[in-house]
This record gives sequence, C-alpha cells and structure tokens, in this order.
Amino acid sequence: MTAIVFYAVASIVVLSALMVVTLKNLFHCALFLAVAMFGISGVFLFLGSEFLAAVQVLIYVGAVTILVIFGIMLTRNVMDEKIPARNSQVPLSLLVGASFLFVVLFALYQWVTLPPGPAPAAAPDLMNNLYALGPALILPTNGFAFAFEFVSILLLSALVGAIVIARKDPS
Amino acid sequence: MNVIPVVHFLYLAAILFSVGLVGVLTRKNALSVLMGVELMLNAVNINFLAFGKYWGVSSLPGQVFVVFIITIAAAEAAVALAIVISIYRQWRNVNVDEIHNLRG
Repeated sequence: MTAIVFYAVASIVVLSALMVVTLKNLFHCALFLAVAMFGISGVFLFLGSEFLAAVQVLIYVGAVTILVIFGIMLTRNVMDEKIPARNSQVPLSLLVGASFLFVVLFALYQWVTLPPGPAPAAAPDLMNNLYALGPALILPTNGFAFAFEFVSILLLSALVGAIVIARKDPS
Repeated sequence: MNVIPVVHFLYLAAILFSVGLVGVLTRKNALSVLMGVELMLNAVNINFLAFGKYWGVSSLPGQVFVVFIITIAAAEAAVALAIVISIYRQWRNVNVDEIHNLRG
C-alpha cells in the first residue's frame, strides 16, 4: 500500500516537472511547479522528515511559486505566443540531459548490487525527529551552528540586495 | 515506510534533476530557467534525505543540509526575481539569449 502511494506520488512529481519544462504558457508552468513541490513534500514524508515536508509546502508552494507568479505577471507582455519558448539548442540539451540521466541511472543500478547500508535505526517517530532537529541546527557542539548563522546572514544580505537591485534608479 | 528501497528515491531524484537540467538549458524566458533551477535543487534535497535514510543511524545531518539548501534557494529566488524585474525595466525583455550586452 505504501509502495503504491509512493509510486503514484513519484509519477505525479515527474509528470508535473515535465509539464514545467515543456508547457508554453508560463503561468501554467508555475502552477505545475506548485504541484511538483507538493509531490516532493510527499516524498519527504516517505523519507521520514515530517518537518521538512511542512517547510517545503510553506516555502516552495507558499513563497517561491508565488514569487515566480509575481514575476510572470510583472513581465506579462513578454509571453507572446508567437515567440518560440525554446532556444536553438534543444537537441544538444536533450542529449546532455539524456546522457546525464543514463550515466546516473546506470551508476545507481550498479549500486543496487552492493550490500545495503547500515541497519536503519528503530522506526523514528515524529516527535523524536522534531526534537532532534532543532538542537542539531543551533547547538554549538554539533558543528552546524556556524553554518546556521552564516546562512542567516546570507539570507539577510540576499533580501537587502534584492530590494536594492529591484528598486527604481533614483537618478 | 521501509518497503521502498532507498535507491528508488535516488532514481526519482536523478529523473527530476535531468528534467530540470533540460529546462534550464532549453527555455528562453529567465523565469522558466529559474523554475528549472528550483526543480534541480529539490532533486538534490531528495538525494540528501535519501542518503540520510540510507545511513540510518542518524539522518539528522541530511535534514540539516536540506534546511540550508532551502534557505539558500529562497535567497536565490528573491535575488533572481529582482534581477529579472530590473532587466525587464531596462530592456522590456527577459529572454536570456537576447540579453548579451556583456558579450565581448
């Protein structure tokens, strides 16, 4: 049962990702991006990280997709149906993508024959998982505190920079 | 939850990454390129979580890295949107192959 749900979610993710890449109407692309992000948050649930699934819905479906839709609306008249949506390097790009996919899938297929990894811990329950993630992020003893502060400063400076870049030139 | 082999998550991530890569390489509109980048970042997130599950003992480093990636992706989306709007104001155009003022 779990497997059936997983493969359904995975195929939804892949199909909507294909739609994002192939559809001509940018607005539909953004909506399918939201569907793909929902599916990916479902995949996160299967991977046992409920917190990140919620964060995925909040950030990607709630913020990034909406930002992209704002961008599409602000640059509306660019979406002329007569202008082709793709550039001239489609065959080469398809070749690159297909060969990358082939190499990675082949490597993974080889990897299947290797022995499985260390035995998974006893089924992690929701609250233990949640309570462990917070200290892992900010406790100085865990080694991630510096990266946490660094990424906070990065986010702050990126937001300030975005405002500065998008602002109208005063002159 | 353990009925699905970890490698199937990696298959899904590889397919998603390739689709995003083709989108980045083929689309003209800068916003479509941004959407392709988001797909690739999420493929990487799935990989991190899948390997965290594979190592089993503690999947926390994988989750922490995914938190960082999501943060950086949000920052990247904000800056990219600002650049797109700025470019649109300048040239009335957001097609990445027609904006080549820096070409020598």
